[in-house]
Amino acid sequence: MLAYIIRRIAHLVPVLFVLTVSVFVFVEMLPGNIVDTLIGTEGNDDPEIRKALEQEYGLDQPVHIRYAKWLGRVVQGDFGISLVTRRPVTLELMTGIPATVYLAAVGIGVSMLIAVPLGTIAAVRRNTPVDYTAQVTSLAGISIPEFWFAILCVLLFSLYLGWLPSSGYVSPFVDLKASLTYLILPAVAIGFRQAAFTTRLTRSSMLDEMNKEYVDTARSLGFRERKVIFKYTLRNAMIPTLTISGLQLANLLGGTVVLETIFAWPGIGRAIYEAILQRDYPLVQAGVLVLGVIVVVTNLLVDLAYRLLNPRVALA
Amino acid sequence: MTDLDIGKGTVGGAIGIPAGRAVPRPPRMGRMRALIANAWYELRKSKTALAGLVMLALLFGACIATPVIATHDPIKQSYRERLAPPSEKHYLGTDRLGRDIYSRLLWGGRRLVTIAVLAVTFGLAIGIPYGVLSGYFGGKTDAVAMRFVDGLLAFPGLLLYLLVVTLAREWKLEGIYNDLILIFALGFAFMPEVARLARGSVLAEKQKEYVEASRAIGDGHFSIALKQILPNIVSPLIVNATVRLGYVILIIAALSFLGLGTPPPTPDWGSDLSAARDFMETAPLIAVFPGLAICYTVLAFNLFGDGLRDILDPRIAER
Repeated sequence: MLAYIIRRIAHLVPVLFVLTVSVFVFVEMLPGNIVDTLIGTEGNDDPEIRKALEQEYGLDQPVHIRYAKWLGRVVQGDFGISLVTRRPVTLELMTGIPATVYLAAVGIGVSMLIAVPLGTIAAVRRNTPVDYTAQVTSLAGISIPEFWFAILCVLLFSLYLGWLPSSGYVSPFVDLKASLTYLILPAVAIGFRQAAFTTRLTRSSMLDEMNKEYVDTARSLGFRERKVIFKYTLRNAMIPTLTISGLQLANLLGGTVVLETIFAWPGIGRAIYEAILQRDYPLVQAGVLVLGVIVVVTNLLVDLAYRLLNPRVALA
Repeated sequence: MTDLDIGKGTVGGAIGIPAGRAVPRPPRMGRMRALIANAWYELRKSKTALAGLVMLALLFGACIATPVIATHDPIKQSYRERLAPPSEKHYLGTDRLGRDIYSRLLWGGRRLVTIAVLAVTFGLAIGIPYGVLSGYFGGKTDAVAMRFVDGLLAFPGLLLYLLVVTLAREWKLEGIYNDLILIFALGFAFMPEVARLARGSVLAEKQKEYVEASRAIGDGHFSIALKQILPNIVSPLIVNATVRLGYVILIIAALSFLGLGTPPPTPDWGSDLSAARDFMETAPLIAVFPGLAICYTVLAFNLFGDGLRDILDPRIAER
């Protein structure tokens, strides 16, 4: 196991290399450079000043040196200053990421609450109307764009029924109850879509488990069907479901951009999106890099957890 | 395999065929017709695939026939007829600028489906050779190639698309170039998945004897990898590509919903939906139609892909 963990961590190095290079090259490929921006705002284009500025920002050095220097700063957590707010980019990230994690985690929770019972029932009652309904619903859930679903929810629950606020955010540490009312619609919109994937997965892994011999053994020992399903089968079938939910959570951190925009949720996705619109590229660069690193690390942790839970998986 | 195995197969077959009943000989036909007949025979096995196929046929039919069946110019504004409800003149009503929604949906769909198909094709075109060659050569080549793919997979959610679309905007690429960049981004983001899938199949396939046989008669590496192995691993790739088409359409719609797609007058389901949000209280239907259109299209691809998977992978279909 230890050797495996070390090998997996070693694999992270090239992945992070590709990630950092892509993010660095992205900014390099933007037309013009930071000096153009600075001179543009000052309103004077003196070759002397330009040269001085280029030297100050290290633009006269070859690209690999600049990459190395940039990487050195990034490793120390220095992503530079936001061009719009003039605050350190790290600070902007620190405010956005918790809000997104809050939304995504509750969304995945909603998804599990829908998907696990639905997938289990569909598998137990295979090829009955219940199963077909579950399958059609999950197929529809995958096909509905979440931003449209969100808009329809707002239309129904905010505009017609007036039960929930249409958009906004309150920190759960300030006022938990108010925070939850703002959270319900976006979290359900996320949960509904993710549940569509998870239901299918839970159903098929339940079917896999139910065909195994230990289930027959349990039945032949006279255990009640309910106990066989819930105590033995479901427990094993949950392993892939939990694994996928972990991966979904990581991917959602960059995948809630649209919902955060609709619901005015101050998360990292919306921060990156607005940074793109306002040409605040240091923030874009940092945001994408940090989310990418979170995804890679989560993938690793999920993989290791999967192997711990399921020792039969070969350590290939 | 040895002679013994071949013998066993023959015996099994002979037992399997009931005596006295001749196996019907298939009628002679051309290669292409045989292929189509075969595909049709297989498709009939899955209701899901058939439903998807019918929906797709309607969709592609509408895309091709758009210039004929659209009733209005999709970008012509009419101040007097703003936010009109559905009527005989405007089947689905008009939007905030008095443009005919039915015609806008048709033209928007035509563009959307074209971009999605080109993007997925591009993804397959780079992903398949990448994955096949990586799996075939194995060793260090494979390790390096796959780490690059892992790196690309590390971009969460929409971010990779956001980056590429932003670059396109900064470089002031407009019209067709903007679309090309979108196709490139969507295809490039599909590439890692294709490459991994293709590589996995190749790893299993290259152990088989026909590969060794090809090598023995002196075929080159590229010829073996692309001509011999590739045809044997296409089915999971086809299924994957079909489902991906639905996903790509969702992504394009999401990007235009965010205002990063085509600039305004062009009909576009995502940006039309986004614009309709401002009139949700007075004319909610405007926000419903583009959404339904997206659902229909994505569902069609998903149904067809699901059905194909059942047909091509009977191990799963048995459930």
